[in-house]
Amino acid sequence: MDGRKKRADVLAKIPSGIEGFDDITCGGLPQGGTTLLMGGPGCGKTVLALQVLVNGALHRGAPGIFVAFEEKARHVAANAETFGWDMRKLERKELFFLDACLRSDVVKAGAFDLTGLLAALEAKAGEMGAKLIVFDAVDVLLSLLDDAAGECRELYRIHEWLTRHELTGILTTKIEGNRPEAASRYGFMPFMADCAVLLGQQVAGRAVVREMRVLKYRGSPHVLDAVPFVIGAEGVEVGSANGVHPEPQPFEERVSTGVERLDAMLGGGFFRGTNALITGSSGTGKSMLAGNFIEAACRRGERGLFVSFDENSRDIVRDLASVSIDLAPHLESGLLKMEAARSAAASSEEHFMRIKRLIGEHRPGCLAIDPLSALARIGGGLAARAVAERLIFICRNAGITALFTSLLEGVDKHLETTPLHLSTIVDSWMQISYSLNGGERNRALSIIKSRGSKHSNQQRELIFSDTGITLADPYTAGGGVLMGTLRIEKENAMRAEAERKRHEIKQKGRELELVTADRDLQFETAQRGLRTRSEELDALRRAEKTSADEHTQRRDEVARRRDGKLVREQAPAKRQPAADGRKNGGKRK
Amino acid sequence: MKPPGASNGDDRKGAYVFRLYLADGAPNSMRALANLYAICHKYFPESHRVEVIDVLKEPLRALAEAIFVTPTVVKVSPAPEQHIIGNLSDEEEVLRALGLPQKEKG
Repeated sequence: MDGRKKRADVLAKIPSGIEGFDDITCGGLPQGGTTLLMGGPGCGKTVLALQVLVNGALHRGAPGIFVAFEEKARHVAANAETFGWDMRKLERKELFFLDACLRSDVVKAGAFDLTGLLAALEAKAGEMGAKLIVFDAVDVLLSLLDDAAGECRELYRIHEWLTRHELTGILTTKIEGNRPEAASRYGFMPFMADCAVLLGQQVAGRAVVREMRVLKYRGSPHVLDAVPFVIGAEGVEVGSANGVHPEPQPFEERVSTGVERLDAMLGGGFFRGTNALITGSSGTGKSMLAGNFIEAACRRGERGLFVSFDENSRDIVRDLASVSIDLAPHLESGLLKMEAARSAAASSEEHFMRIKRLIGEHRPGCLAIDPLSALARIGGGLAARAVAERLIFICRNAGITALFTSLLEGVDKHLETTPLHLSTIVDSWMQISYSLNGGERNRALSIIKSRGSKHSNQQRELIFSDTGITLADPYTAGGGVLMGTLRIEKENAMRAEAERKRHEIKQKGRELELVTADRDLQFETAQRGLRTRSEELDALRRAEKTSADEHTQRRDEVARRRDGKLVREQAPAKRQPAADGRKNGGKRK
Repeated sequence: MKPPGASNGDDRKGAYVFRLYLADGAPNSMRALANLYAICHKYFPESHRVEVIDVLKEPLRALAEAIFVTPTVVKVSPAPEQHIIGNLSDEEEVLRALGLPQKEKG
């Protein structure tokens, strides 16, 4: 592979300007080489060739020549105008259309060749500096030769002429059926060309499914598989998700689902850049959740894209308004883009291209497709699955958080399968089912898978109300989750119980208060008693001390009275102890 | 129109006037030139004129006159104009295109 890559680098290519085509050819057409576009009638050869020419003129300033052998050149130009390419402006300078249709009354009398044409083209190319020349339906002219060897010779003449003048050529040619090797008439052409691309179309369901395949590319790697393409409003779009793209960086950031409680169940919401699938039968509220998700995104200031199938946008806005989800202001501000598609109007491939283009134009942070299963309606389930896979791929690459819904029809509610088997490729999968109990039908949401994060395993009742969407608290009874009236009864019972408890607590509180107050009172009383006694004791002590002093006084007095004459001198002696006290030896006795 | 190439015959009323676009040197072109002169000499030796245009020398003229394959013979007159492509080796086809009675050769 490395060796081949090196050679591919050496091989000069000119970009076709068609993203998917440059992907499958690893860069575009071989410069100075011949590219052969083969296919049955109406499979888009002319448009593809013309588009490469126009892109070159518009985006690279490279002039080109278109030689029309089958259609009148002015018809081709008029056809190109329908894709929004301004041919009149381009034809003044960058593009030259050569009408190489032979007159209908021309008579062929013998062999001829293209020497004259090539001489004329050489002059013209030199005059305008053209580097790219399209020979459209060259087989129409050559078939007049009625000589296989002659046709072969003329094709080689073109090929050699291109090579000699270093011009890049695109030859388109019709083939019968889709097998170029079986078409012996031009069987050699793929061998001659440097690059050969086979275009094909088939009807699947009632829709046309187009695909192209690079049969060979001399000296260059290329995508081997057939890739789908559409001819849309802006020309050919090649759906190649197979090209080499860098691995997207995983995000750690969480994106809200728009339902707080659902976020909690998912461990914080979806991871940014991942995708989620909501499955459920008709009327379970998938669209509501999808709308809610997008509305939440817009409210955060993110750009949102809401693609709905078989329901017009106004109805969706109205329905969501009934649960207080208001999309209108976001539509006005331009943050939100809503696209209503009819599933039966196009093949899954065309839907895909349209959505891809919308993503490219609007650059949403969050995308909702409601329902993705509508893709499977036309074109068969296999094609639709491939489309869904590519859609998921594109979203992951662009870091878009996507929410898809998918309808389950006529499927046993216990059998959780999705029509496109999307559940295996999406990152998160939620299922909404009806739960029948207590004579009611209630919506139950459960998360079946959520990659890379813990998630709740509970089934919860989904509630749509005037105030929005939420999930009810889970109540389980007898192994089941209670919903609807049963839940309300349970809720009422729980409320009553809670009320009773609250009352009881209040009661107990009051009792406690009383007891506390009582104790305080008793304590206070006891304190007071203690204080009183303590005071009494003090009083007694004081009283006792007083009486003891009096006793001493009295004894002294008695003693003095026994001495007699000393009584009068006693008091002055006490006032002047140093002068008289020591003289009074009699007192010491 | 004054032809730069070889011309022959006269411009009398009723004369056959041809323009031959060819690629000088290419086998089919050379054969066509020879075949055209042979037919002219055989069927209207006194009243023909041939203008030869070498597209290798005048490529843009060929383009302007919507000539894509070589050789191409245009019968300019008598009207109507008729285009014949190829090396003119199929003489019967040429005569039919020119509106001449066939099998004169006998």
